Amino acid sequence: MNMLPQQIIAIAITAFFIIKLYKQKRKGEISNNEYIMWLVFWITAALAIAMIKQVDRLSGTLGLSASGIDFLVYLAVIMLFYFVFRLRLRLAKMDRELTEMVRQFAIKETDKKQAKNNN
Amino acid sequence: MPKIACIIPAWNEEKNITKVVESVKPYADFIIVINDKSQDTTAELAEKAGAIVINHPINRGQGASLQTGNDYALSLGADIIVHFDGDDQFLAEEINDMIEPIKRGEADIVFGSRFLGKETNFPFLKKNVIYPLAQIFTRLILGVRLSDPQNGFRAMNRQAAEEIRIINREMAHNSEIQSKAFSGKLRVAEVPITVIYHHFGQKLSGGIKIMKDLLIYKLSK
Repeated sequence: MNMLPQQIIAIAITAFFIIKLYKQKRKGEISNNEYIMWLVFWITAALAIAMIKQVDRLSGTLGLSASGIDFLVYLAVIMLFYFVFRLRLRLAKMDRELTEMVRQFAIKETDKKQAKNNN
Repeated sequence: MPKIACIIPAWNEEKNITKVVESVKPYADFIIVINDKSQDTTAELAEKAGAIVINHPINRGQGASLQTGNDYALSLGADIIVHFDGDDQFLAEEINDMIEPIKRGEADIVFGSRFLGKETNFPFLKKNVIYPLAQIFTRLILGVRLSDPQNGFRAMNRQAAEEIRIINREMAHNSEIQSKAFSGKLRVAEVPITVIYHHFGQKLSGGIKIMKDLLIYKLSK
């Protein structure tokens, strides 16, 4: 398989991210699910870059006028939107947990103060 | 006699809080002010006026403050909980009208309404644009059948306070409470109340934020 220099550079970059991901997993910085999800993402990206001609054909079959590389950029943008959305939901959940902590703390402090006043 | 707790969420309300606490005193057994990290003397003044003050260590919004108040009122053994604004918009003497359907055993939750006959000095834009839009939204999307879509004056019995847990910490809590009251099959009543506008309050942009918050809340549940 003859590859263009830019394909080799792109695959090297994905390899760098896969190694980084593996190190994060070994240090226990990310969960199993997260590790698998990102691993699948980077391997898919590397395969798509390596098989760019096939992606070109797929893009044509789907009726898209753009070339394979454009098709990959579109996919990446869609995925980024999805990740931002998921991040937003996770933030909302963390925000709710923070509110609950603030509430418990505030009530406990009030109880202490009331008990002190009653004594 | 049922024990009545009046919950007043407050953020930088030093101008009004003493007057508001004094005004509700004849109608409640417990007055609970939730000081939502005010930068002024709200907490000190509320305490001096005779309220139990709960201090949020960081600002969490009106919805979060109301739920903090509900939790505390329930722990004190309150039978009826009244939500009352700290900016002197509502009339304390109307608390009796609000809790009457609950006392008679006809309702679990009562919402105040500015559209049932009593006179209110509505800003024009609110009356003719914001409220009609909010009413369509709450009716079609949330299934809420109330004459007033955005009113913070409400009363509930213990059962309703235990069933309705307020999750939206900012202004979307109002629609959330209404929606949960209807979906929870609680008995709902409306009572005419008066609102005195000292400022414009919630703008159209605020309404859009409420819709966005409700959507995120629904999706992140």
